[in-house]
Amino acid sequence: MNSLITSMAMNPLAESLPGFSFMAQALSVPETTSVALPTDVATWNLWMLAPIVFGAIGYMLIQHGVVKSKAATGTGIVAILAAVVFAFGFIPSTLESWMLMNFCTVATAGGVSFLVAREPVYAALGFATAVLSTCGILFMQSALFVAAATMIVYAGATIIIFLFVLMFAQHTDLRTYDIQLTNPLLAAAIGAVLLTTITMCVTGEMAFASNQVDATRPYSQSSLPPELRSEKAEEFYQKTTPSARLVPSTTAGLGRALYTDYLIAVELAGTVLLVATIGALALAQRTTEEPA
Amino acid sequence: MFEYFKEIWPTLWPTLAAIGVILAFVPFLGLYMTFVERKLAAFVQDRLGPNRVGPFGLFHAIADAIKLFLKEQTIPAHVYKLLYFIAPTFSLMTAMFALVVMPFGPVPTEYISGFRYIVAPGIDIGILMMIAISSLSAYGIILGGWASNNKYSLYGAIRSCAQFISYEIPLGLSIIGIIAAAGSLNIEQIVAAQGGPFWNWNMFWQPVGLLVFFTSALAETNRLPFDLPECEQELVGGFHTEYGGIKFVLFFLAEYTHVITVSFLTSLLFFGGWHFPGLTGPVDSSLGGMLLRTFVLVFKVAMVVSFIMLLRWALPRFRFDQLMGLAWKGLIPLGLVNLLCVAVVLTLDLPKHLLAFTAIFIFIGSLISARQLQFTINRPRSAGRPSMAHVTSEVTL
Repeated sequence: MNSLITSMAMNPLAESLPGFSFMAQALSVPETTSVALPTDVATWNLWMLAPIVFGAIGYMLIQHGVVKSKAATGTGIVAILAAVVFAFGFIPSTLESWMLMNFCTVATAGGVSFLVAREPVYAALGFATAVLSTCGILFMQSALFVAAATMIVYAGATIIIFLFVLMFAQHTDLRTYDIQLTNPLLAAAIGAVLLTTITMCVTGEMAFASNQVDATRPYSQSSLPPELRSEKAEEFYQKTTPSARLVPSTTAGLGRALYTDYLIAVELAGTVLLVATIGALALAQRTTEEPA
Repeated sequence: MFEYFKEIWPTLWPTLAAIGVILAFVPFLGLYMTFVERKLAAFVQDRLGPNRVGPFGLFHAIADAIKLFLKEQTIPAHVYKLLYFIAPTFSLMTAMFALVVMPFGPVPTEYISGFRYIVAPGIDIGILMMIAISSLSAYGIILGGWASNNKYSLYGAIRSCAQFISYEIPLGLSIIGIIAAAGSLNIEQIVAAQGGPFWNWNMFWQPVGLLVFFTSALAETNRLPFDLPECEQELVGGFHTEYGGIKFVLFFLAEYTHVITVSFLTSLLFFGGWHFPGLTGPVDSSLGGMLLRTFVLVFKVAMVVSFIMLLRWALPRFRFDQLMGLAWKGLIPLGLVNLLCVAVVLTLDLPKHLLAFTAIFIFIGSLISARQLQFTINRPRSAGRPSMAHVTSEVTL
């Protein structure tokens, strides 16, 4: 596997797309402060297209083969495996990345089973699996609060309510769903373009650095370590009380950002939820009087 | 690869050791909690209780375990096999997984290297993570009920699902007060904030929070008086009707694990954790101090566990509409009022023990409910409980 990585890095094809640095210059905001990406993350090269292309081909073949021939399905599975092998070439072999890959695989499997399961209950469970694995990925990215909130709201409440309804539904009348899409070619093309865009955004020169902070938001920026603070943030830092700026953790940072820089958005979201609650109450009201 | 593991080993082994402690002790505790429960039940009902096997009947629990393990594995023909087997394991898995952020001994907030009494120290969202994981424990029960392919089991599962979702809201509301005061979601930090004199324990200035928390946490454990998901009179057995032998044990081990979790949480969040008069201040790493603090914590936990077990024989079960009414009309408003009081006190920088007077809400609330209860009981039965009739028609599933 190591030789594969080296050969990719040496390859003359491995170069950034023309015009890319120009775009980066045009779009970059000079005021932002950022921390350099860790060095073990691969930078963008054209070989990164290979797993995407293989995956698209594999998807098309499987889509075609499930209905018509087993040989096509087999070739498709081989193509997807090739895509996986290629993709592994770009991934550093540390414990973290292996755990991340596990979560990604389970999430994908959950999504696939959500789409192809014939029984609604199994589809809901596939969705739950996908959500929980995504929570795992978020945990590994230190987005702890978002992960826990997703777990409580989606896996803990929403999907359970789905299950609640689905389990009451009669499951004797199972539809034989047609698993052939109307336009698999378009789906594969859109998927490939999306994946390419995401890969370029994550690994390209214009990639958002992991600790990048919007300098126009001084309140939340003032919680950063001193070398990352802008002048304006430093000013805010001096103004706040010591207990208020004791923010060593991501959750506290998130709370601070939400209730200072994004206060209006939070309040508006709260208002929307309140309106939704009132609407639900209005809908739940009985309009007709019951006969006494 | 070997070099890599050698590199991460110093941070890996304390975690593995803590996981080992949890995996070893939780089933053992669950086993002996059945024994303690039987003894306490016997005490309440003026009986002797189990006393045949071993000294004081101590080996009854082991005999029970052997019996349950050696039972024939029966699989009803009509169940959905895959989910039928997944349900009990998932139930136990979520119950145990919630323990990863729970300190089972003193944990200093600066996380010294070496063995720590917690699997994952310094998790930013500690208590929230615990709530998130225990919200998943509804899956085990609901899948078990559905996979049994039995209407009664499904009804048990549906009841438990409604109960879980309803009681999660007051559970979350009740701890926001202490989180706001401690300034952290991390359980170690919350316990550290309760150091000093014993009236700094959260129970002394958050009585309403304690009441709401303990009630809703008890509801999440599915134990009496909240054991609606299992009910011999109405549902044959409940969500576990079709389960026998070791699969049944897994469900009940999960329930006892929940009891352990709730007791630990109550002790850590409200009863001052490992602090005790004369044993306050930051955690030192001396062995004696550690053991003494562990003993204090375990003692508090044992007190809470006994209290939960005695409650079982002190309170009658709820009817389903009463259960829902308690959550939505009782605990949630109480939690909101408490939260408001805490916010006012913290914002105006008042002494936080002013909040002890919020206990007056409990007093007023209990007066009102006692009066209502009397009103309901004194009414002739033929009148058909007019105050409850409309509620029942709305809530009954």
